[in-house]
Amino acid sequence: MMNSAQSIRAIQENISRVIKGKPEVIELTVVALLARGHLLLEDVPGVGKTTLAHSLARSLDCSFKRIQFTSDLLPSDIVGVSIFNRQKQAFEFMPGPIFANIVLADEINRTTPKTQSSLLEAMSEAQISVDNQTYPLSQPFMVIATQNPAEYHGTFPLPESQLDRFLMRLRIGYPSPDEEKKVLDRPQSLHPAEDLQPVLAAQDMLDLQAQADNVFMDESLTEYLLSIVQATRQSELLSLGVSTRGALALSRAVKALALVRGRNYCLPDDIKELAPTVLSHRIMMARTQGLRQRSFEQAERIIQDLVESVPVPV
Amino acid sequence: MPCDQALRLTSIGLASVSFIGLVLGASLPGWLMFLTASALMVTLLRTGPVNAITSVVRPVPLSATTWNILVLSGFLGFWIDSLWISGDLLASGIHFLLVLMVIKLFNLQHRRDYVHLYAISLVAILAAASRTSDLWYVPVFLAYLLAGVWTLLLFQLTKDTAVPSADLPRRLEPLESYSGVTPKLFWMANGLAAATFGLTLVMFFVIPRVNAGLYQKGYGENVRTSGFSDTVDLGSIGPIKRDRSVVMRVELPDRPTHEVGHFYVRGMAFDRYDGRSWANQLAHRRNLSEDSPEMFTLRGSKSHQLLSRGAALHQHIQLEPLDTPVLFAAPFAESVHGKFPAVQSDINGALYLPFPSSTRIEYTAVSRPNTISPDDSRPQPITYPESFLRHFLQMPVQSDRIAKLARDISESKQTVYEKAVAIQEHLSHNYQYSLDAPLAAQAHPLEEFLFVRKTGYCEHYATAMVMMLRSVGVPARLVTGFLATEWNEYGNYYVVRQQDAHAWVEVHLPQSGWVMMDPTPADGDSLAETLPAWHRVQSLLDSARLRWNRFFVQYSAADQLAVVRDIQTGGVSVRLWTLDSLASFLKPLTAAFEAGMSHLTGGYLTPVGTLVALLLAGCGAMAWLVWARPWKWPRRAAGAAGDEQVIVQLYRRTLRQLERRGLRKPAAMPPLQFIRIIQEEWSTASTAVACITELYCRARFGRVPLTTEELHHARETFKQLRSLSRS
Repeated sequence: MMNSAQSIRAIQENISRVIKGKPEVIELTVVALLARGHLLLEDVPGVGKTTLAHSLARSLDCSFKRIQFTSDLLPSDIVGVSIFNRQKQAFEFMPGPIFANIVLADEINRTTPKTQSSLLEAMSEAQISVDNQTYPLSQPFMVIATQNPAEYHGTFPLPESQLDRFLMRLRIGYPSPDEEKKVLDRPQSLHPAEDLQPVLAAQDMLDLQAQADNVFMDESLTEYLLSIVQATRQSELLSLGVSTRGALALSRAVKALALVRGRNYCLPDDIKELAPTVLSHRIMMARTQGLRQRSFEQAERIIQDLVESVPVPV
Repeated sequence: MPCDQALRLTSIGLASVSFIGLVLGASLPGWLMFLTASALMVTLLRTGPVNAITSVVRPVPLSATTWNILVLSGFLGFWIDSLWISGDLLASGIHFLLVLMVIKLFNLQHRRDYVHLYAISLVAILAAASRTSDLWYVPVFLAYLLAGVWTLLLFQLTKDTAVPSADLPRRLEPLESYSGVTPKLFWMANGLAAATFGLTLVMFFVIPRVNAGLYQKGYGENVRTSGFSDTVDLGSIGPIKRDRSVVMRVELPDRPTHEVGHFYVRGMAFDRYDGRSWANQLAHRRNLSEDSPEMFTLRGSKSHQLLSRGAALHQHIQLEPLDTPVLFAAPFAESVHGKFPAVQSDINGALYLPFPSSTRIEYTAVSRPNTISPDDSRPQPITYPESFLRHFLQMPVQSDRIAKLARDISESKQTVYEKAVAIQEHLSHNYQYSLDAPLAAQAHPLEEFLFVRKTGYCEHYATAMVMMLRSVGVPARLVTGFLATEWNEYGNYYVVRQQDAHAWVEVHLPQSGWVMMDPTPADGDSLAETLPAWHRVQSLLDSARLRWNRFFVQYSAADQLAVVRDIQTGGVSVRLWTLDSLASFLKPLTAAFEAGMSHLTGGYLTPVGTLVALLLAGCGAMAWLVWARPWKWPRRAAGAAGDEQVIVQLYRRTLRQLERRGLRKPAAMPPLQFIRIIQEEWSTASTAVACITELYCRARFGRVPLTTEELHHARETFKQLRSLSRS
């Protein structure tokens, strides 16, 4: 029986066999999972978004489904559909791809808002309602959505209110030349994630999630976190600050990160480190910032600057 | 509770306590008492947590000038008061003080207002102290001490808002680090108050004194007595028979335990009766000779020395301030021992001070009652000097009915003593005791008593007996004093109250001299009856009052010297002395507890009593657990919190140390990130900094208590770091 720190490290090591040179991305992915959150990967195609999701599912011995979002995708294509069964003379619910532990929603901004919202509803409620019937989703449940920042043509960008449902927004980024070389040198396999062996059962992950909830956050740190949130609301650079849900998300993520780092209490470092990742997609920049620059990096930098202005409790 | 609100509450508490002290100590006019009390109530309501009330009683929006004018007019009123109304500087000063307090209470906004209020309450509690030396001052003073410590602590814990401009008022703001009244603060404040009281107590016994109660003289409320002046109207004792105020307390060292019965305390004797009132025609006072310092002896007349006297009776008497100079003692005092400039006596055997005392006095008297000589049981002719008979056989003009009655009763008796006994028994058997006899208004109160109403009280009985005795030729006189019946079992002394005032008769027997006789039937006790439980508490309190007076109020320079001498000689250690004093001070309490227990269990079921006590204690402990919920107290107790403080201090010192090297931690930089900076900038020290930071994080943010070794390690590491930075 492994303790929590060992289990978490095992997952990270397992994934890093496939995703080379991105330990911080792997760590944040695990944090999101521990905090029962969902992940938005915003990056160009071909840097390993799918592989990351797949290898996470494989490491946990969980079911994994991938949905490629297109403009003609319908809500029923995600949640499932009721079909009339002739033998039983009754409608029968055929679960859609959302009924998996890890769901990869690829290029989420390519589908219509209607379909997007059906996914987002499932994310926040952790259940599906079809024909007045409620079906709980399997646990653990995590959506890893991707979107391509380079292309805008024919896309339906997610509004801020819906982005709020994601715990954090991440970039993977290109690997360093050395790491990239390692990827190429590796024995070629079409699906490297398929070769991974599970290191943790799904039930163990639920236990770890419960542990993350119980990580101790000192009162002074809660106040520190809230003063960061307050700073986003008072900043002149932002037209919309972080919501209470955002503050809650940051608190959960911070606790999960502390657990990943092998502590049962949070530190100011955890908060400062996670604030840009957890908060940057929850804000709206003021018009003065210019449309061109209202990008991911810009938002992250604003949050970082704000955090630098909030004194840490001693 | 936030600090600023707690400060307001304790400030009002402080003002209230000093106000209560003044109410109890000085006689305040009713309107002022009402005004101050309502001002305190309104301020309290305004401070209270109920917003509905708060909105009703808003602060009065008056300008500073208006307040100043109010204070000035109050000052003017003070002069008017002191010159014309009360005519007394101290009394009017106290009134002015209360007016100031009311003004401040309504204008309680800035920090300086609070300071003013504290100053006012301090002066008020001092003024209350100067007006009294009674026991109630102890709880008031203790409450003042507690409230004072709390207020000053909280005052320090709140701070001025940093508003540099002068036009903005400085209001109360809690310090960031002390956001409220924590359990730690609570215990600290109470502990400080207790420590202060302990220190005060030590200083009280040690510091030299000039004279206690400087202003007390002349301001104390004297107890108004009746029956102890040169003339006494018949029926004047009756009205005070319902007055329960204490006149004196009498300890009998020879008789430490209570003997059932009464105890007569003699005051004055009267020889002349004019039909309505008694007068003392032999009131000429002579000074008693002072044999040894403070020892005054009554030189008996020749006849006295011939008489057979009973055993000497010592009495230790504590006399309240009275409006009469008479000193009281058991019948036929021989000597008085007390700190008096002089003691006087008259021929009727009354003892006097030169003037009435305005303070409580203590003295010891030695008395010896006359016994009836066997010679008096034989009839024998006797001749008295003419002057003697003129005084003690005097009678007013009255009808013959009294003389006839007396003759009828005593005709068959041979001796003087037998006649006296016959008359005494006739009166006590055939007449009813009652306080509701308005005989004083009658033209001939004595005849009214003897033949019409046949009810009356001690004075009527005694007067009737004297008149009847005189009418058959027996010299007699009327004596006023007290008949003590109330025995305090906790302090072993008689409590003598106004209602114990009494009058009786002294008969002159040829051989025995003056002999005491009391015709009044023993009926007056019904008035003193109260509930036993309440009575118990009362007598307990009264004995505490006696001790308070003896050990604190009367504690004089001489007592102090005695203590010092004891220390010097080493014969008795101070500790033992203090313990003994304490033990005797607490003895009534333990005695009351034992008495209560024996009362509960009927006196013989001691195991049951123990069981009941244990049960009660268990119930108390359970109630305390349910109420206080010690397991809900803050997660880490004092020890862990202390460790946390230590490591936080150490971390701060580490940061200062690094600052000296030019490595300043920005306010927004978390601890672990700072370690990385140190690793880059000053790698030799990074291990030490990392070690301290790690322990600091664990104790500060993880609230994990550090072990002693870890703390020690942290200190050592810090020393290393210091030596590194010096090198």
